[in-house]
Amino acid sequence: METVFGIVVDGAAYGMILFIISVGLSVTLGLMRVVNLAHGAFAMVAGYIASYAAQGLGLPYAAALVGAVLVTVVATLPMERLLYRRIYGSANELSQVLLTIGLTFVIVAGINYLFGPTLKRIPLPDALLGTVSIGPKSIPAHRAFVIGMGAATILGLWWLLERTDFGIKLRAAVDDPNMAAALGIRTERLYMATFALGTGLAAMGGVLGAELLPLEPYYAIRYIVLFLAVVAVGGAGSIFGSAAAALALGIVDTAGKYLIPNFGEFFFYAALILILFRWPHGFFHGRGA
Amino acid sequence: MTKTVRGALLGAVFVTASGAALCSGTAWAATIKVGVIAPFSGPFATAGQTFKQGIEIYQAQHGKTVGGDTIEFVYKDLDQANPAQSKALAQELIVKEKVGYLAGFFFTPDALAVAPLIDEANIPCVIFNAATSAITEKSPRYVRTSFTLWQNTVPLAEHMAKQGIKKVVTAVSDYGPGIDGETAFKQTFEKGGGQVVDSIRMPLKSTDFAPFMQRIKDSGAEAIYAFLPAGPTTLGFAKAFSDTGLKAAGIKFFGPGDITQEPDLPALGDAAVGITTTFNYSQAHDSDMNRQLLAKAKELFGSSDLVTFSTVGAYDGTHVIYKMVEATGGKPDGLKAVEAVKGMAWESPRGPLKIDPNSRHVTQTIYLRATERKDGKLQNTEIASFPDQPDYGYKGGK
Amino acid sequence: MSAVATDRTRRETAGRRLRRAALDGAAVPVMAVLGLAAFWLFPNDLGLMTRIAATALYVLSLDLVLGFGGIATLGQAAMFGTGAYAAGIAAVNLVDEPITLLAIGGVAGGLIALVTGALILHARGLTLLMLTIAVVQIVQEVANKARDWTGGSDGLSGIDPAPVLGLFRFDLYGRTSYLFALAVLIVGYLVARRIVRSPFGLACRGVKEDPLRVAALGGSPKRYLVALYAVAGVFAGVAGALTAVTSGIVGLDSASFSWSAEALVMLVLGGTGRLYGAVIGTVAFMTIHHILASSDPFHWMLFIGLFLMAIVLFAPGGITSVLNGAGIERVFHRMKGGRA
Repeated sequence: METVFGIVVDGAAYGMILFIISVGLSVTLGLMRVVNLAHGAFAMVAGYIASYAAQGLGLPYAAALVGAVLVTVVATLPMERLLYRRIYGSANELSQVLLTIGLTFVIVAGINYLFGPTLKRIPLPDALLGTVSIGPKSIPAHRAFVIGMGAATILGLWWLLERTDFGIKLRAAVDDPNMAAALGIRTERLYMATFALGTGLAAMGGVLGAELLPLEPYYAIRYIVLFLAVVAVGGAGSIFGSAAAALALGIVDTAGKYLIPNFGEFFFYAALILILFRWPHGFFHGRGA
Repeated sequence: MTKTVRGALLGAVFVTASGAALCSGTAWAATIKVGVIAPFSGPFATAGQTFKQGIEIYQAQHGKTVGGDTIEFVYKDLDQANPAQSKALAQELIVKEKVGYLAGFFFTPDALAVAPLIDEANIPCVIFNAATSAITEKSPRYVRTSFTLWQNTVPLAEHMAKQGIKKVVTAVSDYGPGIDGETAFKQTFEKGGGQVVDSIRMPLKSTDFAPFMQRIKDSGAEAIYAFLPAGPTTLGFAKAFSDTGLKAAGIKFFGPGDITQEPDLPALGDAAVGITTTFNYSQAHDSDMNRQLLAKAKELFGSSDLVTFSTVGAYDGTHVIYKMVEATGGKPDGLKAVEAVKGMAWESPRGPLKIDPNSRHVTQTIYLRATERKDGKLQNTEIASFPDQPDYGYKGGK
Repeated sequence: MSAVATDRTRRETAGRRLRRAALDGAAVPVMAVLGLAAFWLFPNDLGLMTRIAATALYVLSLDLVLGFGGIATLGQAAMFGTGAYAAGIAAVNLVDEPITLLAIGGVAGGLIALVTGALILHARGLTLLMLTIAVVQIVQEVANKARDWTGGSDGLSGIDPAPVLGLFRFDLYGRTSYLFALAVLIVGYLVARRIVRSPFGLACRGVKEDPLRVAALGGSPKRYLVALYAVAGVFAGVAGALTAVTSGIVGLDSASFSWSAEALVMLVLGGTGRLYGAVIGTVAFMTIHHILASSDPFHWMLFIGLFLMAIVLFAPGGITSVLNGAGIERVFHRMKGGRA
């Protein structure tokens, strides 16, 4: 029993980190139909900015986090205007893949040039060091913090998409862009805002998740499969779906590694195949939130 | 395409190419090229960079000429383990660049891939890193100046057994070197009276190590022997080890020194403190030669932070190549060149080295090190040494 | 998707269609002539060129599934790797005749494609993409685990094939390797062209454009797709075996996600749905990669990234769309704000 409890707690903690990084990808893919393979690159850029802000400029963790998210969003907005706008829509999937892979390569090369190939870290504040006990199980304080942030993100996004004017317009534009435009919704602006939201979430995930997914230039490519898995299992565009998927995959991965470590990799991908068999469109297909 | 056309074609090319080969075979080359295959881009770019630095440091200290011949290094990028590409690059280096020596090789399969080529072209191949014992068995033209997992692990396991440690868990990445390490440890440690209570092989792509930590905790071991490839996985593992409270619970962390390689130490931070490793080189090694090497690195590259095991692997490899050129008078003869360095002994920044005539691998001192913070900077402090360690994994003689 | 495609066909002028047909017909002679010319002109680069030829066959297999069946996959290396390992294991333990080895690779690639295809091809879009990734990861993990057979991460070495047709030995300069690989590529291309023009190939295209209509006419869309996937698997398997035979070693990278992704990049670069697009994309990508990587091994990634982006922005149908004369018009169309 204690084993099961341990697996669930560890798995949930891992899953929440996956959720925070992946949900931004789910938003852009589900709402704007963009396969943004540069999502991991954006998360990585934010991580490097936070690392530089904390170590180079000596800013506190919270300031580095907020600063990195803002800088990343501002820095990537021109890309929406110049690059992404040309490839929106599901008819352009292959162009999207090629363009965003190209963009990823450029970002990887740029980071490698600026910061070098060695690992970088974002120092944690004292409050997030040490461990927190949950029943018989203790987990790192930093992970508990990430779980809290993940929960806050779920609620925040749900509120944003379901309860605000922005969310209503966005869902209208997703369902029928022409009709939305005819009703006077400025879809271009809406798309830009959604893109910024997706990038901002990637950025936040990159910074918060840096303890688990360490920062190095290849980050952008190394973890993209993991993020895509979460989105596929959750159902593109679904907030709750992404959360459920991330938790499920986190727990499956943890269970596999704990019970049969030598075949952990098999276990994860076999489970992924089975899940996608049962839910071919993801847990929550076609729902706004 | 008819057979005659193809025959004529083949014939024509063969004549021109063999003519070229003949020319290069007899001419006295004023410039001797060394082809270096290593990762210069991608996730392992640091390795290639340290190779290059090691070569440049050596050349800055010892000049670029040997007996009138200029030694020139040609770099080829192989961003990750890809043996087919490795062979194509080696072929290009030999045929197009007319290199007299091959060197570099971070990954085992890439080094293995060139065996037929170096035999056919009679070219020596000096391996700066790739650490699977079996490589040097595949061709008499391989010489290796790095280390093997066996070489580092055997003295560590003996030391641990002598310390009175009884129960150990091994945790290694599930690939060739990891399994080498696990086997070497198990054999030696159990011979020394210890017990391996659990052997965990972790998928190479693992990002979350918490479940493994739970397993280690449950096994009731006093210590772990861990090996993972340097980089993000090691960082994740060491962090999880301290974050999940295993370190606080008093479980001791041992492993080969790759896991606390110098370029990763700043990122590892305090998670690395208290890890005990065995390895062939530490930046903190106390010798004049090492201080000179570090000073030169600082002078050339502005910082000596990157200097690590692969730097000295390349540095000493370059030394071996220089000696080979000297012994053959600049004439291309791979077997003779290799023959000349068999049994060669010299002093390196890491300590005394000797090329074992049988395995063509360096016999060297392995150091026991503790990672600690000194003057605000993390380093691997050598606390004991085990001289004259051969490659225990070499089976060629048996 | 289907509406867009028919719309484009309508817009295609007779002249352009003629040019395209001419390109299609000229592809084989052009490939043979250029391939042999390259043999003469670059006798020192045969290693690279051999890899290009084998890779082109692999990308061709991806074009069969993606360009003609509309199956988006990031797992084509599962078939390539299986073929390579099958041929490699056979070469080490059983036979050393190169053409037999290619056949073994082809059968292995086809079988794994048939089995996995039947399992996953009910899905579409991102789900299918993820399933193909899962398959390639599992194949790679099997190869990693079966160390006794595959050498694990050390690679499967010691593949020493006999001379081709008992006459041409695999030499240091890679002459035999290159000509062998070129010949296999050309034969493969001819067979692939035959397949896509056959009733089966046309039916697959029908499934891609409009699966409902095929179903209404009594065909099973999934069955067509599985068959196509298996056929393409044979091609990928042969390509893998060809790489194993010519390089003498097989590594875990041959069944990796990144090798699958690279194939996709090369194909999209060349242009999907036309077999010669696969060849052109492969040649372009690998040549540019090689030149950049050797002139600046430290920062080539920047330039190749910019190059890929430029292709999407200025030649969205791939390189072949420029050759077809369609590229410029589409860019113009796009600048006016339309969607191609």
